[in-house]
Amino acid sequence: MTLGNSTGAFVIGVLVLLTHAGDQTPPTPRPTDDVLGKGTVGVPVATKETEPPSAEPMPGHESPKPAVSAPPAKSPDSRKSGMPLGGAVAGALAQKEGRHVPADRPPKPAAPAESAPPADSAPHTENAPATKTVPRTATAPPTEAPAPAASPTPTATLDLGSLEKRLRETTAIGVFTKLSLKNQVDDLLDEFREFHKTHDQAMLTRLRQAYDLLLLKVLSLLQDGDPGLARDIASSREALWSILTDPDKFKEL
Amino acid sequence: MSRRTRAGAVLVSTATLVAAPSLAADDPAVLKDLTAVIALQGQPCGQVVTATKQGDNDYVVACKDGSRYRVFVNAEGRVVVQKQ
Repeated sequence: MTLGNSTGAFVIGVLVLLTHAGDQTPPTPRPTDDVLGKGTVGVPVATKETEPPSAEPMPGHESPKPAVSAPPAKSPDSRKSGMPLGGAVAGALAQKEGRHVPADRPPKPAAPAESAPPADSAPHTENAPATKTVPRTATAPPTEAPAPAASPTPTATLDLGSLEKRLRETTAIGVFTKLSLKNQVDDLLDEFREFHKTHDQAMLTRLRQAYDLLLLKVLSLLQDGDPGLARDIASSREALWSILTDPDKFKEL
Repeated sequence: MSRRTRAGAVLVSTATLVAAPSLAADDPAVLKDLTAVIALQGQPCGQVVTATKQGDNDYVVACKDGSRYRVFVNAEGRVVVQKQ
């Protein structure tokens, strides 16, 4: 065999190899595009993220782990097998079509693995946050609601001046009745003065009964003609009692 | 001024003086007020049906149960319910 023959045979062999390489690359990408194309390609990650939603959820949970180990193996394979050409072509196609790029590498587990981790991790984080946020928000409201509700309600506002003025001006009670009530209030106040002098606890019990009875009389007189005032006085019952029983506050009356 | 004119004036003034208290006594608000006062004093009455005004803050009342009371404000400013 001459040198020219051997050279020609070598050239032909190279051409055959190149053509075979070109023929092999196309078939693999297409089938993989449909199945794994979405999660595989590392370069077109941006394009993959848009499609993954429906296909990723099911396989996504299991694939993430293998994907992490796969990445290192993938890049060497593509370089060794002469994929650069196919990869370049695929890359060009991918840039044009966007989604075809992932298909080239899917056949190899390594390729999907690299791109998959980010894609898979993304869905996981999306799912996880969604589930976490829901419970958090659900639990948060109930805990917050009771706190504000409990604090504001208990304290009853007490404005003695306003209550006295409203009692004087109300038409629900006649003049005679108001005067009679005033007499009884004055009598009760006299008894409280005596209580604060003697500090007799037995007397306090009796005073409480008298106080409750007098308040009951006032409320019964007001409940029909001036329910608002009756309500306010009723809500101030304990506050008024605390003032009457506190020596310092009682002196200020 | 003739005798007839004087007599007429006296009659009118007398009627006015007498009529005023009776009108006041018929006022439901006053009857209710007197009923409340008697109840506040712990006296049996039920409900005041008629009241005759004797003067300022001074009434004689008849209760539904037949009892009669004088309700007035004494010199010390206290409301007094006095059974009659």
